[in-house]
Amino acid sequence: MEMLHGFLLGVIATASLTAGGFFLKFWRQTRDILFLAFGVAFIIEGINRTSFVFLELPNEGHPSIYIVRLLAFLVILAAIFNKNRRG
Amino acid sequence: MAVAVYVLGILVTALCTLLLLRAYAKVGQKLLLWAGLCFAGLTVANILLFVDLVIWTDVSLYTWRLSAAAVAMLLLLYGLVSESD
Amino acid sequence: MQTVELPQDVILFITEQIDTVPHLEALLLLFEQPAEQWTVERAAARLYVSVDAAAQILQDLERRKLVRKRLDEPASEYVYDPTWDGTGQLMASVAMNYRRYLAPVAAIIHAKASRSVREFARAFEFKKDR
Repeated sequence: MEMLHGFLLGVIATASLTAGGFFLKFWRQTRDILFLAFGVAFIIEGINRTSFVFLELPNEGHPSIYIVRLLAFLVILAAIFNKNRRG
Repeated sequence: MAVAVYVLGILVTALCTLLLLRAYAKVGQKLLLWAGLCFAGLTVANILLFVDLVIWTDVSLYTWRLSAAAVAMLLLLYGLVSESD
Repeated sequence: MQTVELPQDVILFITEQIDTVPHLEALLLLFEQPAEQWTVERAAARLYVSVDAAAQILQDLERRKLVRKRLDEPASEYVYDPTWDGTGQLMASVAMNYRRYLAPVAAIIHAKASRSVREFARAFEFKKDR
C-alpha cells in the first residue's frame, strides 16, 4: 500500500511539475499572466507533493501542507480576477 | 482554518472546471476538454480530501484521493502534449 | 532579408483574428472574389486543404464575424462579411500587405501561441462577447 501511495504521489508530482512547465512556456509565448499563475500554482503543488516524501504520510492535515496549497489556490484566483478586472 | 482551505480548494477547482468545460462546449477546442476534466478530477480529489479529513475521519480515503488527482493530472498532461502544438 | 514595417492595424488584426495561414487565405479568397460561389468544397480545393479543414476554417471565420452564410439561396455558401471593417480600408490593407510581404505576415501568424492555448486563456474571461 505504501508503494502504491508513493507511486501515485510521484505521478502527481511529476505531472504537476511538467504541467507547470507547459504553462510557463505559454506565459512566455502569450505574456498572459494567467499562464504564469497556473504555472506557479502547479509547480507549487508539484514541490508540495514531493515534500510529502520527507513527512509522514498521509498528511494533508499538516498546516505547512495546506498553507502551501492555499497559496496555489490564491494565485489562480488572483489571476482569474485580474483577467476580468480589466474591461 | 484547515476546513476553510479545503473548501476554498474545492471552489477554485470547481470554478476552473466550469469555465473550461463551458468554453469547450462553446468552442470545441480539445485542450479545454482535457484541462476541464483535469480540474474536475482535482475537484473530486478535493471533495474527497474534505470528506476524509472532516466528515469520515475514521475511514481513510487516501488511496482514492491520490488516484483521483493522479488520473486528473495525467489527463491534463495528455491534453497539453497532444493539443498545444 | 530586409526587415519590413507592416502597418500596426494590420499586425493587430492578424494577431487577434487570424489563427493560421489557411484562415487568412480563406478570408482573402472570399474578400477578393465575391462573385464566386464559396461552398466548403470549393474553398477546400482552392486552399489545398481537406473539406473538413475548410469547413472548420470557415466556421472559425464565421464565429469571428468575418464571413457569413449567404442570406439567399443557397444558404450553405459563405460570403465575406464587411460589417466588421467600417471603411473597408483595413481589409484591403491586410490583403495588399499579405500579397506583398507574405513571409513577415506568415511569421506573425506562426509566432502566436497555438489556438488551443489562446482559447484556454479566453475560457477564463467571464464576459463573453463572442
